[in-house]
Amino acid sequence: MTESFAPGVRVRDLTVVYKTPAGELPALAGVGLTLAPGTITGIVGESGSGKSTLALSLLNAVQPPGRIKEGSVEIDGLGDVVKLDGEDLRQVRGRKVGYVFQAAQNSLNPLKTVGKQLLDLGRSHDVADLQALVRDARELLGRMGLDGARVLDSHQHELSGGMRQRVGIMLALVLNAHLVVLDEPTTALDMITQATILRIVRDVHHERGLTTLIITHDMGVAAEVTDSLAVMYGGRVVEHGPTTEVLGAPQHPYTQGLIRAIPRLSGDIDEARALPGRPPTLGTMPREGCVFRERCPLRMDVCDTVDPAPVTRGERTVACHAVGHQVSPPRRKEYA
Amino acid sequence: MNTVARRLSGHLARGTAMIWVVTTISFLIIRNIPGDPVRGQYEKLIEQGMAPDQAERATAALYGFLPTGSLWSQYTDYLNGLIHFDLGQSLSTPGTGVATLIGSAAKWTVLPVLGGTLLSFLLGVTLGVYAAIKRSGRLGDALAISGSLLHGVPQYVIGLLVTAIFTTLWPILPAGGPVDIEFDPGFNAPYIASLVQHATLPVLTYALASYGGWILAMKSSVATVLGDDFILAAELRGLKRGVLFRYIARNAILPLFTILALSLGMLFGGAIFIETIFNYPGLGLLLVNSIGARDYALMGGTFLVITVAIVVANIAADLLYAVIDPRVRAGGAA
Repeated sequence: MTESFAPGVRVRDLTVVYKTPAGELPALAGVGLTLAPGTITGIVGESGSGKSTLALSLLNAVQPPGRIKEGSVEIDGLGDVVKLDGEDLRQVRGRKVGYVFQAAQNSLNPLKTVGKQLLDLGRSHDVADLQALVRDARELLGRMGLDGARVLDSHQHELSGGMRQRVGIMLALVLNAHLVVLDEPTTALDMITQATILRIVRDVHHERGLTTLIITHDMGVAAEVTDSLAVMYGGRVVEHGPTTEVLGAPQHPYTQGLIRAIPRLSGDIDEARALPGRPPTLGTMPREGCVFRERCPLRMDVCDTVDPAPVTRGERTVACHAVGHQVSPPRRKEYA
Repeated sequence: MNTVARRLSGHLARGTAMIWVVTTISFLIIRNIPGDPVRGQYEKLIEQGMAPDQAERATAALYGFLPTGSLWSQYTDYLNGLIHFDLGQSLSTPGTGVATLIGSAAKWTVLPVLGGTLLSFLLGVTLGVYAAIKRSGRLGDALAISGSLLHGVPQYVIGLLVTAIFTTLWPILPAGGPVDIEFDPGFNAPYIASLVQHATLPVLTYALASYGGWILAMKSSVATVLGDDFILAAELRGLKRGVLFRYIARNAILPLFTILALSLGMLFGGAIFIETIFNYPGLGLLLVNSIGARDYALMGGTFLVITVAIVVANIAADLLYAVIDPRVRAGGAA
């Protein structure tokens, strides 16, 4: 258990389409994203930007009517999970990649105690020492501030929302998966519980040497725990780089807008400026050109016709026609 | 365990009250059907030259209450009899107790209808799971259509079709009656074989008639559970197929248990059409005949048996539910 192997993840040209009456529409359009081994990467974006679809793709678990049309998701030690299926895929899920469900509050079978579901999990992955598994589970729950023995003996309806969410996190970590995907792990939790859970996620991440992906729409969460941050819009990663740099010096006009829209705890609420307009949905996504142009203050002619390709400079990747003009030479040097 | 006892006593109190209400209503309704055979019997005896008080006593002996008594005294006499488990005497079959008649009819109802119900339940529930899982495929469509079709065809049409096929077009089964009379009743092979032969068509009819309802109910229940978050979560945790299937099936079957328990209670009402078609002397036929003959005591007795059966089935369903669903066990509102 002390052996630590944090896998790197490389998502390449990932296109996920959903079948609709209007034909197959892309929820992800050629997404590329690299998770460095041992880091915590955050993905932020508005609802419908494709965050959860991307997270599910890491387990090759895009739900019908959606499907992965092209692209690859390479995970060190597992290969391209897009090509896995059947038994191979099942063994990867849970054992190699832990997943904390977006609706973690409803992620338990209502008819069985948490303990029995833990045993189902252990048996499904041929865990030899089930007693040790229960011990680990109890310890994890204890660290998250719960009475492990009592929780394992409880049914879902006997636990509060926050408790269920922590049970979901426990189930994702207990098999020692080295890649953990958390889809909005702290949504619907109060601030204190949220802080506790984030602390635990970070502690466990460092202790076990994991590679962690956190999906969130909360910039505060992203700022607090992530090493690197990807911003998604309209099924594309529009900006990706070290968290402090992305938040401190956002380059993509969408990232800049997002950050301006955050109300400060102290200061005038009017300083927070909402981004005008609405994010595109599957149906309203422009077929060509930049998906953000309708809301963009830096819109140019080229934006109407050409979808900007992600350009990587140093550690930062940005997909915007305007950014090349913005970035001044000394700044570029800074990241070179 | 204390909660179970408290639950049970509450159920029993409510059940008894329910039975009393139904008994009273059916007593009043039966008493108000035109053509009062008690009065008829009383008057017939007088016409035959019997003295009024003697005729009254004779009728009272036959029916268990005074024909000339007020409705209230008839009612209290009737309830008094019930409390002592005395259902009274049948009018259309003089000299035979209602309880005896019901008892002998019940055995011809319970086994075939029970068999038919369980058969259709198992078949419908199993196929319903497939119909839901394969609902976008051809097999799922075929199953769902078979369900809708059979659900829409009335019992007696299925009964007549089945009779036509297996007794006329392809005569391999007897057309009616519960058993061939040439065999000695008892535990011997020819008798049992004859019983099974005669029961096959009624059971088949009953199963076909109710299978459609089960498959449709199970299909929609499974489809609902499949959309639940915890199933996707279980899949993402890499649970084995078998485990996943049990998660789905156990959750989906919950709402069907109530329907099953209720239909098991209803089976005491007999299957009137089926029993008529196959000339099967069960409770349904007994009830119809008793209504035709204005046999108050038998009618009342049959209604009572049906009521008690449904009330008991309800209680059983509720207690069973507590066993299979922990949310109910906790005594919560769910």
